[in-house]
Amino acid sequence: MSPNNLSKIIIVAKDEWRYWLRSKLAISVMAIGLLLTLSSVIVTSINMMELSHARHELQDNAEETFIDQPDRHPHRMVHYGHYVFRTPAPLSILDPGIDAYTGNSIFLEGHRQNSAMFADQKQGTALTQLGSLTPAFIVQTLAPLLLILIGYSSVSRERESQTLTYLLSQGTSGNTLILGKGLALLSVIGLILAPLAVAALISLHDGESITAVFAFILGYGLYLSVWALLVLFFSSALSKNSESFTALAFVWILLCVVMPRVASTTAATSVPSAGKLETDFAVIAELRKLGDGHNAADPAFDKLKASLLEKYNVDSIEQLPINYRGVIASSAEAELTHVLNEFAEQRMQTELSQTHVSRQFGWLSPMVAIRTLSMLVVGTSIETHHRFLREAEALRFEFVQALNKVHVEKLSYEDDMNRNKDAAATQKARVGAENWQVLEDFNFEVDKAKQRMQRSLAAFLQLLLWIVLLVVAIRTIGKRLI
Amino acid sequence: MNYFFQQLNREWRFMLRQKYILILLTCTFLISSFSVLSGLNEISQQQQTLERLKAADTVDREAAQKKHHDPGSIAYYSFHLTSAAPSNLAFAALGERDIYPWKHRIKMLALGGQIYESDTQNAELAQAGKIDFVFVLSALSPLLIILLFHDLYASERTSGRHDLLVTTAKSSWALWGARGAIRFISLLLCLMVPFYFGAWLSGTNLSNVVMVSFWSVIYLIFWTILSVYWGKNVSSAPRVASGLIGIWVLFAFIIPILGDLTINKLVHSPEGGDIVLTQREAVNDAWDIPKETTMNAFIASYPEWKDHVAMESEFEWKWYYAFQQVGDQTAAPLSQAYRDAAQKKYQLAGIASLLSPPLLLQRVLTRLADTDAVAAFQYEQQIRDFHKRLRLFYYPFLFTQQKLGETQLATMPSFEKLTQTQKAELNSNIDTSQ
Repeated sequence: MSPNNLSKIIIVAKDEWRYWLRSKLAISVMAIGLLLTLSSVIVTSINMMELSHARHELQDNAEETFIDQPDRHPHRMVHYGHYVFRTPAPLSILDPGIDAYTGNSIFLEGHRQNSAMFADQKQGTALTQLGSLTPAFIVQTLAPLLLILIGYSSVSRERESQTLTYLLSQGTSGNTLILGKGLALLSVIGLILAPLAVAALISLHDGESITAVFAFILGYGLYLSVWALLVLFFSSALSKNSESFTALAFVWILLCVVMPRVASTTAATSVPSAGKLETDFAVIAELRKLGDGHNAADPAFDKLKASLLEKYNVDSIEQLPINYRGVIASSAEAELTHVLNEFAEQRMQTELSQTHVSRQFGWLSPMVAIRTLSMLVVGTSIETHHRFLREAEALRFEFVQALNKVHVEKLSYEDDMNRNKDAAATQKARVGAENWQVLEDFNFEVDKAKQRMQRSLAAFLQLLLWIVLLVVAIRTIGKRLI
Repeated sequence: MNYFFQQLNREWRFMLRQKYILILLTCTFLISSFSVLSGLNEISQQQQTLERLKAADTVDREAAQKKHHDPGSIAYYSFHLTSAAPSNLAFAALGERDIYPWKHRIKMLALGGQIYESDTQNAELAQAGKIDFVFVLSALSPLLIILLFHDLYASERTSGRHDLLVTTAKSSWALWGARGAIRFISLLLCLMVPFYFGAWLSGTNLSNVVMVSFWSVIYLIFWTILSVYWGKNVSSAPRVASGLIGIWVLFAFIIPILGDLTINKLVHSPEGGDIVLTQREAVNDAWDIPKETTMNAFIASYPEWKDHVAMESEFEWKWYYAFQQVGDQTAAPLSQAYRDAAQKKYQLAGIASLLSPPLLLQRVLTRLADTDAVAAFQYEQQIRDFHKRLRLFYYPFLFTQQKLGETQLATMPSFEKLTQTQKAELNSNIDTSQ
């Protein structure tokens, strides 16, 4: 590109800005857009930081209460259980994603995998069904509308007021004109993204990686560029301002309002999921075969009993040097967890394939693409939630088995069997509180930046494809501009 | 009359020649059909799920009751399915059924540890929202009306025909009225025909269909008048549309979001986590405190068992279930405050939605379809009522060693029967009050 051409482009862009600054509509649209973005960034940042703080505190409290429990029968502590909380990712100040839609705490106890409880949405006002004041929503849905409102007439206006022929005959090529208008729109995009970029950089302070921050801003930049290109395309292709506007408004309705919901509905319809309650029946049926770990006399444990007697070379369980009831509890827990995990994995896989279907709509709507990209890069997508579930389960299994180990090694079988005889026997069938130190700290952190980048690759490609196609289309039109 | 039809006929033929209006109407019809079909599919899936769950639930409970023989173990191992079946209008207004649970399995243990479990679907899909008929109507149709009506005058002005048309037309109604009527009726049909089809398929009662039609027409007329009025004296069509879309953004996003922020600041709700924590501490402490303390707290609420609380061993089921109940009692004030806060928020949201027609319509229609938060609150209350009946059923067997045999098990409360009697009571109350 010659320097002469570049300066022409800049002149066109400057001229477009001059037009905007004189137009009441453009000025007010930009002011409202900026105000919305700014306030959304501030409100969501404060909210998510409060949430993060509160959940960290709850997590610490839960650990302290567990360790502070008095002397008890170890199996009581298995049922006493523990809580874990999902602390939000640093970048979730810009896109809370599914945070409000999934429960954010799980009660961990023996023999059960509980679901996450207390999704914020359930205690909400139901007013934010159409949209919420998060930067993600504002930029994904409303910013394109803003670009349409200020840009729909960028080329068609010149044509309608018959300045286009004049400009073209003066030696400005169609492409130069469109590039100039595009540059002006790009500067508006920069303006919209500035508050987001500042907040994203602040999240570096909370340990977010620079790659994720960069990818996040780049993703939104690409997305809004798609819209700038769409605006330029319709404005150049259609001969009248009103046609360009109607077409763009209609495209916005389809891509930003209709498509995301069509995507999720299609996904839910094409990959039906059974739901936890229903798989629970299958789990129960499977578990019945395993035997109840509370009942050491269950015939399901006969084999284990025989092998133990053989191993220690004794004739009865009373003679074993270890607590037989603890062994049963431990072995039953392991088998049960195996079954539970199998079903939990299945359920997560179904959810993933549903999500996968809905994400394919990103090829049809850049809004779906950026929505996916944003949640994946931030780490507020379903994948991160699944990892939370898995880590919580790992912790559950670990502390339950550690308590079972205490049961096996530190509580005699005789005391254990007599525990309900009288108050003194109940006292005797206890172990010291120092054993509760078995609990590991739980600290949920967002996935590694590299992994998040890999996941979001397809969404980046979707946006890039849109850009390439639109650039080709606009170049073709730009050559024939009259 | 004949003249009137001539006008309509002319405008009908005029509309058929405007390609973008036809595209708009076709898309409207397609989107509305998609929303109705996917709604029908969702509801039929929910119904099938319930059928399967009911069958599995009965089998499972019978197996548990066969395996165990003492009342305590039977109560411990029998689960009970509770559910809120979708109404026959639910296909059009899926409402909040993807956020609030509509199925639970509970047993006689402390309810506080069970009722907050949720069996909700994929969170990422819930976050994107579903496209149901109510969404198409409340959020989408205003935009379609804006696109159809904003240039009613402006398009004729810019093409220079406006003054000619006005002077040659017999009355302004004959021209603009006929044109507007044709566009309005076409849009209305494209939106509503799929809905009527869905209503016919799912056997929606007539009064609901009439109510939905009534509200839809009122809502669409509101937006039509607004669009026509807004564009009355402006010659630039995009300017009219920008203003109208601005109003839509205000109604659909800005007012609700501001309302949400205000309400969340106004209403303080206890943390959900605190309820379960309180309940857990109370339940688990029972193992470490004197049995009398638990039993005294229990008979404070259920004095009828005060002569039967003496314990012979360190573990008895009656004490076990007593401390479960005491756990719930301890957490009851918190739990009540939590529910009250949710109710309060819903009420205040009602006031906020008076300023936002799209939300008002959603509220009205999801209430009609029984798929809103109120329906979810009612369902939760039903679970609580059922849990209470279940406890009252078991207490005699636990406290007085009555035999719990097959004849007695047959009289065990069932959730379905409970909801049916509640419904019947409600209906008879309405009858007597009329």
